Amino acid sequence: MQIVTQNEKNMLVTPPKKSLSPFAIARKKFVKNKLAMISLFFLLLVTIVSILAPYITTADITRINIGQMSLEPSSEHWLGTDKSGRDVFTRLLYGGRISLLVGISCTFFVIILGTLIGSISGYFGGAVDSLLMRFTDFILNFPFLVFVIVLNAILFGKVNGLWVLIGTISLLSWGGIARIVRSKILAEKENEYITAAISIGCSPTKVIVKHLLPNILSTIIVQATITFATMIVAETGLSFLGFGVPQEIPSWGNMLNSANEPDVLQFKLWIWVPPALIITITILSINFIGEGLKDAFNPKSKR
Amino acid sequence: MLKYAFRRILGMIPMLLLTSIVVFTLAKLMPGDSLSGEIDPRNTNPEYIAEMREKLGYNDPLPQQYFRWISGFVEGDFGKSTRFKIEVSEVIGERLPNTILLGFSSILITYILAFIMGSYAGRKPYTLTDNLIGGLNYIGLAIPSFIAGVFAIFFFSFTLGWFPSNGSVDIGVTEGTIEWWLSRLHHVFLPAVVLGLLSTASYTQFLRNDIIENSRKDYVRTARAKGTPERKIYNVHILRNSIIPLITFLGFDIVAIISGAIITETIFTYPGLGQLFLQSVGTRDYPVLLTLTMLFSFLTLIGNLIADVLYGVVDPRIRLD
Repeated sequence: MQIVTQNEKNMLVTPPKKSLSPFAIARKKFVKNKLAMISLFFLLLVTIVSILAPYITTADITRINIGQMSLEPSSEHWLGTDKSGRDVFTRLLYGGRISLLVGISCTFFVIILGTLIGSISGYFGGAVDSLLMRFTDFILNFPFLVFVIVLNAILFGKVNGLWVLIGTISLLSWGGIARIVRSKILAEKENEYITAAISIGCSPTKVIVKHLLPNILSTIIVQATITFATMIVAETGLSFLGFGVPQEIPSWGNMLNSANEPDVLQFKLWIWVPPALIITITILSINFIGEGLKDAFNPKSKR
Repeated sequence: MLKYAFRRILGMIPMLLLTSIVVFTLAKLMPGDSLSGEIDPRNTNPEYIAEMREKLGYNDPLPQQYFRWISGFVEGDFGKSTRFKIEVSEVIGERLPNTILLGFSSILITYILAFIMGSYAGRKPYTLTDNLIGGLNYIGLAIPSFIAGVFAIFFFSFTLGWFPSNGSVDIGVTEGTIEWWLSRLHHVFLPAVVLGLLSTASYTQFLRNDIIENSRKDYVRTARAKGTPERKIYNVHILRNSIIPLITFLGFDIVAIISGAIITETIFTYPGLGQLFLQSVGTRDYPVLLTLTMLFSFLTLIGNLIADVLYGVVDPRIRLD
């Protein structure tokens, strides 16, 4: 309150012209973007409901109930039960936990790896750059799906299945981020403030972390959003094919897997339509958020 | 230009060798002796296995084994399928035409749809139809292909009954007749649409934006000032300039079709290489699995190479890099 009154006093003398920080401008623009805000609320809702799954439903997700196989939706089972008699609604909530967890963890690792390699490569240049970029090209030249499936087949059973999946997906998908971060760093390091920072004796780590990365953070955030959507597609797609999250763990992709049976696909819509819809809407909303962020961080956009 | 292309092709060779080393390492990490498929997996007599291992040279040093494998590979000797008991090249050769047909039709569908939608939206930007096409594209980019595939089977195969939901050809049709070809096209249509959906969206968006950008350039203004009819400006002047950059997408299409084929072929139980790949993982048919992994990696490399070279064709500045 004190500050507000002081501001008002100042306004009488000289109107204060403190411009907003780039992030504050971006936030303002983003909040005005209706589609992005609705998407953000939807994504938060899905996340919170998934996290609170054990408190929302009390049904057992693992127990196979022969007496209640493939029941249609009713007041007792909101979305019916699947072929093993498990409640679809409950599995949807628990599936969200796994799918979102895999998506977020993969995004985290991909961004960390990509930023690390991209910034080292861009900052040092020369031999380090060519070596790291050839390596990136090498990774990018692997057909992603093929190698994830093969690696999963080899590692399966040796380590906990979920983390094998997260590891293999992350290891094979950081290439694109590394390239983008590198090109951004290359452009940014030509600025004079970097020369100044180096001349007063900042170590390379400090220059990268304190001076370069904050200035390309907006790019990284937008890329992280897009990556998050891609990773959810990767997880659900692999699980749908039967090579992702282990079958006994419910995930959206695993639930959709039952649509491979013609009988389920044709007559038992309640088993596969809910996961299919929630995957699509989640991915759409993440994409809308990404577009909104891109717009918000773009100084040229008027919206 | 030739020099540039040559340089890119030479640069591909070390990549290919490195990839083959990775695949070989993966093969060695797999349980059992996976490279040749000569050892009968059901015969568990340790003496038999030891004898076969010695005969096939599995006790040699690893580099020697690698060179034997890779030289056999270059000569077209991929080993024997453990599941089908025939040469891997035969198993793959049987499925290859199906995948080629699928990939080819999906590219064709992509081109036709993207050309129609993109040139229309570019000509009349910010109208209702343009926004509609934009919205469709957005959904096309966001929906994962496996969900699109599942819904496509449900609506077009089961509910409407327009297209078959599995296989590549009707049973009992004589090979080579017109009926046989029509049946094949009938089977390939739905998977090809699903496979082409994703690329269609990016092609359309690219074409639209490029046409809009071109229509603001000086040469268009000159053409208008001379009194060239609007139709001719768009169909001849702008379209020619906007289509050229599109050809660079071809390389990425090859890459997208490989992973797309694995998913769509499985959903539509279409007997192609993608389905064979997943089956070989499931049945632990390692010789087939490894050959396909090498083949897919090779095609991905070729796809990226084509994209790079075509970039050089379209934008000569890149060649200097």
